[in-house]
Amino acid sequence: MAEWICRTLRDGGLEGEHAPALTINDTITCSLGSFVFDHILSQLSSFIHSQKSQSSGIVLVAFSRSPLYYEQLLKSKGYNVSASTWFKVLDCYTDPLGWKSKLANSGIIANDSLGSSVTAKLCKNVKDLDEVSEMLRHASVSSVASLLSELRSHGQVSSLFWLIHSDLHETRATAALEYISSMKATVIVQPMDGLRGNSACLSLMENNLKRGKFNVHVKRRNGRVKTMVEELYVENSTINFAPFSTEGEVISQSLVPKVQFNLQLSEKEQNDRAKVILPFEHQGDGKNIQIYDGRKSLNESKGDSEQTCLEKEDSGRGEIIYFRDSDDEMPDSDEDPDDDLDI
Amino acid sequence: MVMAANKPRSGSFSRNFGAASSSVPSIPGLKHGPNGTMLLSSGIPDLDKILGGGLALGSLVVVTEDPEAPHHMLLLRNFMSQGLVHRQPLIYASPASDPRGFLGTLPSPMVSKDEKSRVHETEQEKGLRIAWQYKKYIGEHTSESHRGGKSEYCNDFDLRKPLERHFFSGKQIDCVSLKESADLGAFHERCSSFLSQANQNNGNITGGRIAIQSLCSPQCEYSNREWEMLSFVRSLKSVVRLSNAVAVVTFSPSLVSTTFSIRLQHLADTLVSVKAIPDEDKELAKLLTGYQDMVGLLSVHKVARFNTQVPAILETTTFSMKLQKRRSLVLECINQAPVDGATGSSYGSSGSCSGSSKTGSFDF
Repeated sequence: MAEWICRTLRDGGLEGEHAPALTINDTITCSLGSFVFDHILSQLSSFIHSQKSQSSGIVLVAFSRSPLYYEQLLKSKGYNVSASTWFKVLDCYTDPLGWKSKLANSGIIANDSLGSSVTAKLCKNVKDLDEVSEMLRHASVSSVASLLSELRSHGQVSSLFWLIHSDLHETRATAALEYISSMKATVIVQPMDGLRGNSACLSLMENNLKRGKFNVHVKRRNGRVKTMVEELYVENSTINFAPFSTEGEVISQSLVPKVQFNLQLSEKEQNDRAKVILPFEHQGDGKNIQIYDGRKSLNESKGDSEQTCLEKEDSGRGEIIYFRDSDDEMPDSDEDPDDDLDI
Repeated sequence: MVMAANKPRSGSFSRNFGAASSSVPSIPGLKHGPNGTMLLSSGIPDLDKILGGGLALGSLVVVTEDPEAPHHMLLLRNFMSQGLVHRQPLIYASPASDPRGFLGTLPSPMVSKDEKSRVHETEQEKGLRIAWQYKKYIGEHTSESHRGGKSEYCNDFDLRKPLERHFFSGKQIDCVSLKESADLGAFHERCSSFLSQANQNNGNITGGRIAIQSLCSPQCEYSNREWEMLSFVRSLKSVVRLSNAVAVVTFSPSLVSTTFSIRLQHLADTLVSVKAIPDEDKELAKLLTGYQDMVGLLSVHKVARFNTQVPAILETTTFSMKLQKRRSLVLECINQAPVDGATGSSYGSSGSCSGSSKTGSFDF
């Protein structure tokens, strides 16, 4: 499924549509987002390198990690990027506030520099934005959002993705970015499974540093939302995705309005229903119930019919004495009981 | 005409609106509604039926979006196309830099192949002898759907075909980009002038349409000034109420605070919300019939009622949105299996796909 995302980003958007945009979300409890970012970056580089994708370059906007880091990352994967034409890094890391060059303008927003560089691009490219959280630190939500949406609708951008730490911002900022994106990938904590022997030796923090659950929401063109879940493992600074072994997640039916009446019985209700003693001779469970009919003496029938007699007695307030009439009738009687009506 | 879906019949007497409307020359695109109101069509025949005939002139319609689905665009497209087909003045505002581009995606009215088959049906029915007391039901159904002429009150739109050029030739089509304006004051001025222009149309009522898409979109600079947006909508509502126009505003509750969202929903005369549905969800497939064709859910929370104190109580509030043959939008009541009982929900706050902070919603 991470492969699916990469392929979607590689393929880009259709004519006339906005470019697909991916938001990678993580929190402090499971901060593996940067690994995911690197993974996607390397995948896309491999696609471009092997000429499989329609875009011809990657532009990386680096905010929180230096460009050298990315060069080394891609070099370790086998792509020599320092001499390449298809990989460009816009360095907003070393001097985000532009102190060096633009001392005259106070409070420069990184957007200005980015905006001008976008229009100068001549080839179709994929844009990656590392750490939008940093960008939000310097600029307001609306300007970041407008920049991203402009990038999406720009003819030369085939896809873009960015990483954000959702607990660093107000929910509104995160919601705004998710509103703009077409895919949302969230890294959340994988609850530790006590049954697995291997993970028992890992402490909780180690667990969160190495494993996580990768949720992806995709907004499809027909308006439906596709969700996929995978597990992710980090080993030796590389990341692996594995299909999720779910223990039966219960998805509540909250979209559809709840109807007032309930035709299904819960477990407890089913058990209670089975226990109700019906006022009939046969309870349907194969045993015949003896109803106290007042003919036998109490001592004889005490053992048998104690339980059944309870239903006929109020507790300590009186006795119901029941004489069965059915014994009076002959079993093969041809009499019509209506015969004695005098009409 | 009495809408059978909305009001329970108390007797066999029914108010004969036909006689009243014949005295006033019928204006294409408008029809008489209950309690002396005039209605215009929303562009979706099923939605018109649900809302009791259409949207009342002077009302404010608010559509709450689901950030994960573009269904509000479907509603807006049909609404705008219907206005253009009836040559009603239209102003459209969106956060895009070039809103005119959206006009290219407006659907075209469906070709009348279906109409011919329906005409056949009524002719056959004339061979049947229908008892007098049931004739009023039959007449009600057929008289709405086809008038024989070109000017239907509500067209069925084919979403695959773009609207023909000649519909755009009217002078009264205006597009505004909300991103450009630093505040909403300028936009409000434009709306007011648009409405006064629409009112002065040679003394004839044509019915104007205002369509505002994604009012709280984060690209706009005013989007974090909630009181400003709220006062804009309030003044828009008051201006629209005095005019012969309908305003449709869409916004996404996830982008604004809960209090703002609730206030805006209270301001609406008619409140509709759209929700996305998850794809390939086996639970929902079991629960709902026709899940494969559904694209989303539409809920009607409030229906505008003017000149009366009697509220409109709908039989069901949630409908499924389906695209018939990928072309036209139909709304159907949901057929579902009953689930664990719970009380009804408030406006738009229960169970959205994306609400991670809300309890009881999907576990994403």
